[in-house]
Amino acid sequence: MQIITEQNLRNLIDLLVKEAKLVVGPKLSGSVVLYEPLTAGTELTLDALPRRSSKELFFPVCEDILSYKREGGAMKVTDVDRSKFPETVLFGAPPCDAGSPSILDAVMSWDYKDEFYLERRKKSTIVGIACTKGDDACFCRAVGLAPDTENGSDLFLTPLKDGSYACNAVTEKGQALVAAHKNLFAEGAGAEPVPFVDQAVQKLDLVKIKKWLEEHFEDPLWERIADICVGCGACAFICPACHCFDINDEGSTDDGVRRKHWDACGFAKFTNHASGHNPRDVQNKRYRNRIMHKFKYYDDKFGKTLCTGCGRCIRACPVGIDIAEILETINGKAE
Amino acid sequence: MCESKNIYLPNLATIETIVDETPDVRTLRLVFQDEAVRENFNFRAGQFAEYSSFGFGESTFCIASAPTRKGYIECCFRSVGRVTESLRRLEVGDTVGVRGPYGNSFPIEEFYGKSLVFIAGGIALPPLRTVIWNCLDLRDKFKDITIVYGARSEADLVYKHELKEWQERGDVRLVKCVDPGGAGPDFDGKVGFVPTVLEEAAPSAENTIALVCGPPIMIKFTLPVLERLGFSDDNIYTTLENRMKCGVGKCGRCNVGNVYVCKDGPVFTAREVKAMSQEF
Ligand SMILES: Cc1cc2nc3c(=O)[nH]c(=O)nc-3n(C[C@H](O)[C@H](O)[C@H](O)COP(=O)(O)OP(=O)(O)OC[C@H]3O[C@@H](n4cnc5c(N)ncnc54)[C@H](O)[C@@H]3O)c2cc1C
Ligand code: SF4
Ligand code: SF4
Ligand code: FES
Repeated sequence: MQIITEQNLRNLIDLLVKEAKLVVGPKLSGSVVLYEPLTAGTELTLDALPRRSSKELFFPVCEDILSYKREGGAMKVTDVDRSKFPETVLFGAPPCDAGSPSILDAVMSWDYKDEFYLERRKKSTIVGIACTKGDDACFCRAVGLAPDTENGSDLFLTPLKDGSYACNAVTEKGQALVAAHKNLFAEGAGAEPVPFVDQAVQKLDLVKIKKWLEEHFEDPLWERIADICVGCGACAFICPACHCFDINDEGSTDDGVRRKHWDACGFAKFTNHASGHNPRDVQNKRYRNRIMHKFKYYDDKFGKTLCTGCGRCIRACPVGIDIAEILETINGKAE
Repeated sequence: MCESKNIYLPNLATIETIVDETPDVRTLRLVFQDEAVRENFNFRAGQFAEYSSFGFGESTFCIASAPTRKGYIECCFRSVGRVTESLRRLEVGDTVGVRGPYGNSFPIEEFYGKSLVFIAGGIALPPLRTVIWNCLDLRDKFKDITIVYGARSEADLVYKHELKEWQERGDVRLVKCVDPGGAGPDFDGKVGFVPTVLEEAAPSAENTIALVCGPPIMIKFTLPVLERLGFSDDNIYTTLENRMKCGVGKCGRCNVGNVYVCKDGPVFTAREVKAMSQEF
């Protein structure tokens, strides 16, 4: 087994920074931990799940997709130079974050290819880490992941009781990262792994849940659980798997940029037609779409669940809507 | 510069002509500025595009001209908001962006040898107008062609000069109508709502395809009439106009249940529409 000491892990970050890579990892920013660019290995903070997901590394909150400028009389549109996107290493993502790109790859690459996402994805290496810091909102086990799921990571670290990490190079990218810095890794038996935190939510039967959703588009459940939703969109913006976006121009009619930026199906205007007709005219229909999209439609289309069980939406919701509890309720109803 | 293709990059087009169809509906005829695009831009009737007004953003409209008419495309839109109002401020010679064509289309080849009934309400004539001209340009491939078109008032009827042209052709039956109270003293059409007028016109369902576009309320009342006339759900086509942004199956806005209207639609049969989660 390959082992890396904590010191060497931090040294690895220093080296990657020196190689001019963009290194991103959990870092204390004010009073919260966020995924932020690291300038030194000492900044890596592995004792809390970052408040926001690592999705924005591949799919930023807001990004330019083109610029336009009127030159003389003629309008000129210029593409964004995606070859300038930096080589990136994401450090310390637990399975619920490390697993999100492999879910989003499906929608971003079917038929038309979103090269903004795909180029960033191609240029990134994900160093995942087994999660030993779960809290009572976590439910990754219920949606088919686990605190030690390696899938989604290129290199996977398992924290050991002596402070070092067992390393498994899951993909070629992970192998390349290890090969390029061989002297930081050592062969060894390794100490015992740090135990995981137990999760409150038991394993859900996602197939059963999906079938229930298929048969209960109309159901009193939706009003009961979601009429209190205030449509703030926090659950979508904080989610590692939500991918809805809007496209808007910023600038004058002569000079500006067109941008793609996150949007949320919980917003009242999301589906509003120009005529005033709105297919999802009340909040519970919007919340129903959130659940349906994650646990039915995305699976219908791409064979994947659009949720990693990170629990962020549960922690963030101002009115206490708990997606895990809803899934448990449905699981209980489903036959 | 990078090699990868940016799916959000529009082609630039110049406004060649502007026609005001009604006080708030306008047709733009657009000519692509790049010669290669101008020559290679192909689409099928029923497809849509994202039209942009720089500084304001993009709007989704169908391509309202016929694929059989080359060298230009047309869009026809009602001014209702930010982008459409800014498009309205543009003049002949100005530049707009066009991304597309996107979405599926009417399977016109499958309609060869059959009669066609077009039923449209208000601003929803453009998505059918492309099919109408497509079929009229191939007139001998079809049997009877009937067009039932209605709007709130005479002033709201779009493509007035084309309605006249269709009325004068011997090979098309045009039934135009306006809602009660919407007719002027010289109106030469019928007065009544589209579903009622359709029922009176009673086109035969025998070997016939019905194509319906209009506001949700019109569609809702038209489908039972078609059923009474003997049309099966497989022989009725319509388009859905769920709000869109990307047009290419990424942004998550246009879905009706697990159907992405921008990819799987916008053209559907009545059978397909009835099988969907009722969210449009
Ligand atoms: C496949 C398809 C084909 C279509 N084809 C056509 C076509 O051929 N012709 C056509 O005219 N239309 C067509 N449409 C509809 C068209 O896309 C919309 O009318 C258009 O995009 C409206 O854009 P806008 O920016 O002008 O309106 P927006 O500014 O987005 O406004 C839309 C409506 O929302 C209201 N609104 C916006 N923001 C707010 C707010 N903050 N608070 C309250 N109200 C608000 C506005 O008052 C307005 O009524 C089609 C749509 C689809 C999906
Ligand atoms: S839906 Fe909630 S729990 Fe699931 S991935 Fe998104 S934020 Fe995490
Ligand atoms: S965070 Fe809660 S209140 Fe806000 S949109 Fe999501 S479910 Fe609704
Ligand atoms: S319009 Fe973006 S997914 Fe259909």
